[in-house]
Amino acid sequence: MTQKNDFPPAMLGGLEPLSRRSLLRLTAVSGVALTTGCARMFGRKEAPDALQYVNMTEAEIRVVTKFTRAVLPTARHGLPDCIDEIPTIKNVDTMVGNMAPTQRDLLALGLWVYEYRPMASFKFSRFSTLDDERAHAYVVAMQEGAFFERGLTTTLKALVTLNYWRDSRTWDALDYWGPVTERWGVRRLGNAPLPLS
Amino acid sequence: MRLINMQREGVPVTQAKDVARDPTLGRNFSIQTDVVIVGSGAGGSTVAYELAKAGKRVLILESGRYWPSAEFTESLGDTLSTVYRDQAAQANTTTDVLFLEGHCVGGSTVIGACVMQRPPDEIFQRWSDEFGLKALAPRSLDRFFLKTQEHLNIGLNEAHEINTTAHKVIQGCEKMGYSWRPVTRNVKNCALTGHCLAGCPSDRKMSALVTHLPWATAHGARIFSDTEVTRVLMRGGRATGVEAIIRDPDTGTLVSNVRVDAQVVVVAAGAIHSPLLLQRSQVPDRSGQLGKNMAIQPFTQVLGTFKEELMGFQGALVGVEVDQFLRSDGFTFYSALAEPEQLMAVGEQEAGDEHINFMKSFKHMAGLNAFAIDKGQGSVTWEGDHLTGRKVIRWSPSREDFARTAQAASIAARIMFSAGAERVWLPSFEKLHADSVFELDEKMARVSYGINGIYSYRMNSFTPHGTCRMGLDSADSVVSSDGEVHGVSGLYVADASIFPTPVSSTPQWTVHVLAQYVSERILARDSSHFVS
Repeated sequence: MTQKNDFPPAMLGGLEPLSRRSLLRLTAVSGVALTTGCARMFGRKEAPDALQYVNMTEAEIRVVTKFTRAVLPTARHGLPDCIDEIPTIKNVDTMVGNMAPTQRDLLALGLWVYEYRPMASFKFSRFSTLDDERAHAYVVAMQEGAFFERGLTTTLKALVTLNYWRDSRTWDALDYWGPVTERWGVRRLGNAPLPLS
Repeated sequence: MRLINMQREGVPVTQAKDVARDPTLGRNFSIQTDVVIVGSGAGGSTVAYELAKAGKRVLILESGRYWPSAEFTESLGDTLSTVYRDQAAQANTTTDVLFLEGHCVGGSTVIGACVMQRPPDEIFQRWSDEFGLKALAPRSLDRFFLKTQEHLNIGLNEAHEINTTAHKVIQGCEKMGYSWRPVTRNVKNCALTGHCLAGCPSDRKMSALVTHLPWATAHGARIFSDTEVTRVLMRGGRATGVEAIIRDPDTGTLVSNVRVDAQVVVVAAGAIHSPLLLQRSQVPDRSGQLGKNMAIQPFTQVLGTFKEELMGFQGALVGVEVDQFLRSDGFTFYSALAEPEQLMAVGEQEAGDEHINFMKSFKHMAGLNAFAIDKGQGSVTWEGDHLTGRKVIRWSPSREDFARTAQAASIAARIMFSAGAERVWLPSFEKLHADSVFELDEKMARVSYGINGIYSYRMNSFTPHGTCRMGLDSADSVVSSDGEVHGVSGLYVADASIFPTPVSSTPQWTVHVLAQYVSERILARDSSHFVS
């Protein structure tokens, strides 16, 4: 089953190509965001104890959640749900908690860009407020956008999809055999003998 | 006659938790030894074994955690986030090239694909002719290659180790008239699980975890894990030891500061982290080449989807190599399709329904990985002070690298189509696949070099090398023909960073060989290094 897509992806996503001026503007805003601390601009703060996620901000969680729904429409394919059954966002959150500071800052910047990039095209709607269909169109358009948009989208997709498909409950759908050593009763050989030479 | 005891399984390792529990050590302690080795991968473990066997007191410091093979889960997703450095996200400054390496006791030998390749003689001839390294001339290292072959059980894949992915590659090569051969691997009685990249839980991969490290400890070597060496200590032009920090690997909290006083320091932290350590330590760098000349052997994966169910992930991970282009173009191709999680790191995998359908075709896929020689124009730099600074990895494809990658991907795609693939997925940052060989060139032409090749083809690296290159002349190399850092007596480097030039072969076998060679050179200067 494929999604209905009668228009060019960029149009469907409402993502017009970046002009030189808007690219410079975006770069400048992004630069400011990075140098002044994305965390502060993006409202990062300590998560309340009750929250399930401790390493990403609420705003970041919203972006990642929308992105996950857009990339992994699991319900339509009889797969375990990408959020309610498989802890994709929780896995991402854990991974984010172990990121080096530079990587963490880059991710914050990337999510910020993803959230606000479609503002003009979507009458100032943020990515996280789009419905799933439009969010998917936006992701596809970003994948076919400028080099940094492609890079950002690929990186986010890798982060999200890795943290979904790593769960063994998704493997049946792929007919993937998963871990086998124990199931087969393969004996551990231990250390190789000390060489004579 | 000396009686040597070796434990049957596992390696005796002092971990952060052991240090924390030992009241005699405290927050600051020091250790005296003959040789301290930084890193426990192919190079470090080999040197440790050779020097311990020769009667030296050896201490190995490994920044990664100790994972006994019994704890390997065969889940690549879990392994990427625990055993690989930086959760497998160690990247260049533009974050489009991943540098995948093991961050654990045993280093990358633990998570490698077991491929062992001996470089062609031309490489060693060049090292001899251009760099004056006569000791590395063709055939001079034969005895080390043979010894490693014997120690690590290196041999050609047998028929049962050629899986369906490999058979598709063979079929494609036969139709194209390309030369192929079974891969040479360091494995003993392979269990054919296909989980090499997640570590081998049954100890069949002849990694350092089951070879040089237990052998070295049997000869008295000691290993500390969770121990990050912050700098090499030097006095009067001599290396005198190292400073290190032991951290709890779960929380990152400091457990102890340790100073090691040693007569010889061997740095074997790999081509990224060895130069970083030397830079942090402010070793003399007369040539200005420290951290430069990094070749990465960029690899790309081309996937073919076939009509029939291949279950191409089953069996030995790497079956055959296509060696047709090794000498002429510097390409090597390996058949391999790893776990589903691996697909996320090698190409653009669509979104929405298309992504799900792509994943559901996993059982119909075969993979062919192209490794290309590059120009060695990358670099690694430590920025900031030795405790709070950060690593910076710079590598972007030159136009030549870009063109070579495109050519390699094109060849791989043609092999897949010749084998009957209905669709070939190309390694790009944009959605790119071809449904017939006739549209291949047009599709590939869509990938442009753009700005410095950033986010063009999806390239990653398992095998960086050359960042502390070896040479006779201190004006253009970092280490001498003995592997000793120019200008610092008793400070040696023994890993892929000392390769004088880029190579197109997988480097692990050569690293073991050069580590044996460096060990021999250290022992040859016994009287000047060791006071006993």
